[in-house]
Amino acid sequence: MIRLAWRNLQRNKSRTWLTAGGIGFSVLLVSFAMSMQSGSYEIMIDSATRYFSGHGQVSDASYIDQPRFERTVPNATALQAELETIDGLSVMPRVQAFAVVSMGEKSLGGMAMGVDFAAETRFLDIYDNVIEGQIPRASDEALIGSSMARNLGARVGDELIVLGSGKQGAVAAAIFIIAGIVETGQVELDRTLVFAPIAGVAEAFYLQDEAHMLLLMVENLSQLGAIGAQIETKLTGPLALQTWQELMPMIEQSIELDKAGAQLFYSLLLILVVFAVVNTFVMVLFERTREFGLFMALGMRPWQVIGQVQFEALLLSLLGIGLGLALALPLINYLSAVGIPLEYMGGEEAARQMQMGSFDRLFPKATLASLLTAPMVMIVGTQLAALVSTVRVRGIHPVSALRVE
Amino acid sequence: MSDNTASDTPVVYCQDVQRIYQQESVPVYALRGANLTITAGEFVSLAGPSGSGKSTLLNVIGGLDGFDAGEVTVGGTSLGALNASELAQMRLEKVGFVFQAYNLIPVLSARENVEFILQLQGVSSQERQERANSALQSLGLGDLGDRRPGELSGGQQQRVAIARAIVTEPVLLLADEPTANLDSKTTSELLEVLQQLNQQQGMTIVTATHDPIVMSYTSRQVAMMDGEIHQDSAMAS
Repeated sequence: MIRLAWRNLQRNKSRTWLTAGGIGFSVLLVSFAMSMQSGSYEIMIDSATRYFSGHGQVSDASYIDQPRFERTVPNATALQAELETIDGLSVMPRVQAFAVVSMGEKSLGGMAMGVDFAAETRFLDIYDNVIEGQIPRASDEALIGSSMARNLGARVGDELIVLGSGKQGAVAAAIFIIAGIVETGQVELDRTLVFAPIAGVAEAFYLQDEAHMLLLMVENLSQLGAIGAQIETKLTGPLALQTWQELMPMIEQSIELDKAGAQLFYSLLLILVVFAVVNTFVMVLFERTREFGLFMALGMRPWQVIGQVQFEALLLSLLGIGLGLALALPLINYLSAVGIPLEYMGGEEAARQMQMGSFDRLFPKATLASLLTAPMVMIVGTQLAALVSTVRVRGIHPVSALRVE
Repeated sequence: MSDNTASDTPVVYCQDVQRIYQQESVPVYALRGANLTITAGEFVSLAGPSGSGKSTLLNVIGGLDGFDAGEVTVGGTSLGALNASELAQMRLEKVGFVFQAYNLIPVLSARENVEFILQLQGVSSQERQERANSALQSLGLGDLGDRRPGELSGGQQQRVAIARAIVTEPVLLLADEPTANLDSKTTSELLEVLQQLNQQQGMTIVTATHDPIVMSYTSRQVAMMDGEIHQDSAMAS
């Protein structure tokens, strides 16, 4: 059966190669495009989460919708230590408080954010955008947004007064020396943020061993689900975990939207190829009616004849898929190592549209889905396409078929 | 080969067989109550002009075509009660076919063509090869087994077709104008092959023809006219 099917495919070599080539091209195109998508999504998510918000956050559940100052994570140090026992997870506490930020006679509304600079600079990219000065090293130093610095007329080395409402309504006040100015490119952050060491901010706002959130970073984003499940088991009381999907729903929505658009394109391409296969097998039936009549005269049942042709369709699709993957795999493998410079895709504009932050290259990523989707669709599509034609074998009468010239 | 020596056991039994085709709502009687009994070991020619019904009767006997009235039994199996699938099985097990146009599978070698029908029967690979080689050898094609039909002469292709027909050891070999596409020399050679099969192995053979040379090789001549058995040498004797 295999031999007969293979030799039948060789009867009209040019037609076989054209059809297999069409299947192969569609497999190459879809596999490569899906790998590009996977790579770009990974970079998009990584870039967005690494910038400021992390892969996840633990906070008081009520703080998520109404971030009131009192709604803190108690015993933050102990919880941080416990969470850091999970493999591949890093935890960074943050406190944040609305405050009036003053310098001289100028005052602005802002957000005092107490962070662990040593830890956050290892994981987050926002600190790469310091345009003046440096990351604070002392507990009374601060890093402020570029718009805030401009609006206050502040420069590195100037003193900044932060006034706010501490725990239980107490007046909170602190003086920080501007160690650096950061320009994130995001208006809201540049206009309002004052980053200062967490100890200084916590003390000024009368927080004990508390944090408003524990920022989470995982080594491998694909492990976030499993790690998240472990985190959940360690959370008690009103504490809740939010992953990046909940923190930045727009990212996931834009990915889903992009996927839907791409799937429409892939579907159209695959449907076109399937129509080409239908044409091939209509011709096969037309050309080999006499032979099918012979098969049936010799004692083959119609379903056996159909099975034979379906097997030929399977071989044809496997040939095309083999061709497509033989081209796609090395290409994806090579480009996943060296990357595709974004300048070829529209440079900074492309990066901005793809929310890729500072990344200048796109690395395709082969996944099971990207490599198997097109082949599976082509196998099923080819089988259905062949069946559309070969089902007519049931209507062949051996005597009439054997008279066909 | 099975021991199909001449006896009175009917291999083919046709009683009042009618076959009616509808051509634009007009009934055309291809067979009008044909009666024919063929016993094991006979070599029968069905002769007659075009439209006499000889090919139709051959097709009905072979289970390739149905019939509208009467009774047809082949190798003890009544065909009227069989559905399409059972007819296919009957053809596979009991009947060997040789066609005018050889009808070999062009992409398979001579040996593979002969093996093909054994594969349909579910015979193991090794046994298939042995039996196919043996059948080809017996027809003088031992050295040509690897050639494809396109590389063989008409006579050689028809021998391969005969090898394919007999390799399953059928109770009946049906040949529809098997020499129509052959020259006279090759025709004689092929008829000698069929005669040897009949005489040496007791193969029951029925051939449709309008060639007097073919009829001269057969042991019984049945003439058909207008869908009926017009003359039967067995009856005459």
